[in-house]
Amino acid sequence: MGLVFLAPAIVVIGIFTITPFAQAILLSFQTWDGVSPDTPFVGLQNYEFVFKDEAFWASMTNVAVFGVVGFFLGNGIAIAMALAVNKATRGRTFFRTVFYLPGVLSVVVVGLIFSSMFDPRSGVLNRMLDVAGLGSLQQNWLGDPAVALPSVVAVFIWFHWGFGFLLFLAGLQDIPAELYEAAELDGARGWAKFRYITWPQLAPVTTIVSLLTLLAALQVFGTVQVLTNGGPGYHTMVPTLQIYAEAFTNHRYGSAAAMSVLFGGALVLLSLLQLGISARRSRS
Amino acid sequence: MMSANQVQQSDPRTGLPGPVEPDDRPQSRRRRRITADRVGLYGLLIVAALTALFPLLWMVSGSLQSLDELLSGKSLLPKDPHWDNYITAWVQGDLGKYLLNSVGYTLTAVFGILVASSMAGYALARLEFWGKTFFTFVILAVMIIPAPAMFLAQYRLLVDLGLSNSRVGYVLILITSGVPMATLIMRSFFAGQPKDLEEAAALDGASSPRIFASVILPLAKPGLAAVAVIQGLAAWNEYLMALVIFDDNALMPIQRGLTSFNSAETPQQEILLAATAISIVPVIFFYLLAQKHIVKGIGAGAIK
Repeated sequence: MGLVFLAPAIVVIGIFTITPFAQAILLSFQTWDGVSPDTPFVGLQNYEFVFKDEAFWASMTNVAVFGVVGFFLGNGIAIAMALAVNKATRGRTFFRTVFYLPGVLSVVVVGLIFSSMFDPRSGVLNRMLDVAGLGSLQQNWLGDPAVALPSVVAVFIWFHWGFGFLLFLAGLQDIPAELYEAAELDGARGWAKFRYITWPQLAPVTTIVSLLTLLAALQVFGTVQVLTNGGPGYHTMVPTLQIYAEAFTNHRYGSAAAMSVLFGGALVLLSLLQLGISARRSRS
Repeated sequence: MMSANQVQQSDPRTGLPGPVEPDDRPQSRRRRRITADRVGLYGLLIVAALTALFPLLWMVSGSLQSLDELLSGKSLLPKDPHWDNYITAWVQGDLGKYLLNSVGYTLTAVFGILVASSMAGYALARLEFWGKTFFTFVILAVMIIPAPAMFLAQYRLLVDLGLSNSRVGYVLILITSGVPMATLIMRSFFAGQPKDLEEAAALDGASSPRIFASVILPLAKPGLAAVAVIQGLAAWNEYLMALVIFDDNALMPIQRGLTSFNSAETPQQEILLAATAISIVPVIFFYLLAQKHIVKGIGAGAIK
């Protein structure tokens, strides 16, 4: 009977997740133009191609920036704002609502709004700098190779920090007030309370938020596609976009599949590593 | 700090130290520190709120300007709001069609996810059967497989099945991507429910499907609501698969419709901003109305 109840879920997962996962691995040893039913095996040729592919490695380096900055800055903002909202006595619901608001938008909406704001001539960002007398700080935000990646990463953080914030805030509200009262009796002040109560109590939330924000940052796609499409050159190229372009623009599905195996495999390893670490920590 | 304190304590007329009650001092100093802390706290919160809201406010402002005004970049607020931009966007962008598609995809996907995940979650939480541990592991494991590893092969599979560029194919993909997490949420929801009612129904001779439909599901509304809102948001905002699957404009959801409008030659910037603004109206309303469920659902989804 249990299997009957489980059947719909297992069938869709089997057909649309596990089969393609296996197929992606198979396809990475084949060549396919996207149309023909013919997919001859080519051995390791796709992998050789990918290892020499500059765009792919540029995309890996760029996404590492997304990962690192998203992880530290994004989570830093999230936890700081969760502490601030938790401390506030008025307007908590208002601030929570507003802070998560960007998180319900789509990558396309975020990309289109910021494209318009970043426009070098008419964009509001450069105009405001001009009005503020800071004209020298004006940039070609998305067109200048040195500035484009930081700009896109900043948009990503604006878009995503609300997610960690919500989880941290919920975590803070679950910490029993008695712990703080006891610590105050012992003479603990702000920092000590954070260091010895808040931080350890938040640890499970921190683990999960870190993993999820890191994975989200590494899988960034739509925002970048709409904002820069990976340009100028490959300066903002990210792996998911590179895989997409390799397949649907260059029509080299085999090497795109090799990229997705390499990159997807790295993401899976990362998740397993993080889950392993947190499992060991919670056991000890 | 010290000197400020002395100034405050001195007699305003003579400038000489006035009579001071010693107990008063630390208290007023602390009060002042608390006020300063409050100002800093709310200052920070307000700056963060403005940063979060500014791009949206800018979008609305830009969408109401004329093209000349927008390109000159002179005004932060429209001088003379052009509401007709919204009509132009709606008509030129064919937004009605795309929004309707999105509503259809979202509702069907959420319905499918709710059916599959509530059944599976119930089985995993309550029923004993062969392979239970194995299937639990499979569902956990597929959550780790990231979209970048999958979308290409999913596209290929849909081509093989004759489902690329089709509504059915897209909805099936949406359902598949939502089911694992939804199942885990429902499993932990059912595991936390008391068993008495089911047991009573079982004693009365009701079968598992009967119990599920008439006892379990009605009690599972809070869990179903949490799943529905987060999966609904995810389906509404989905972009990658919509990009990969659809060639035919008539089938595209709103996200895809917006980018295809963007890459067409017709729209001017203010019209595109108006179209973007229109596209988020449903999601903003939904967020404001169902906020409590969304917050709960995100928490449940992350912790599973």
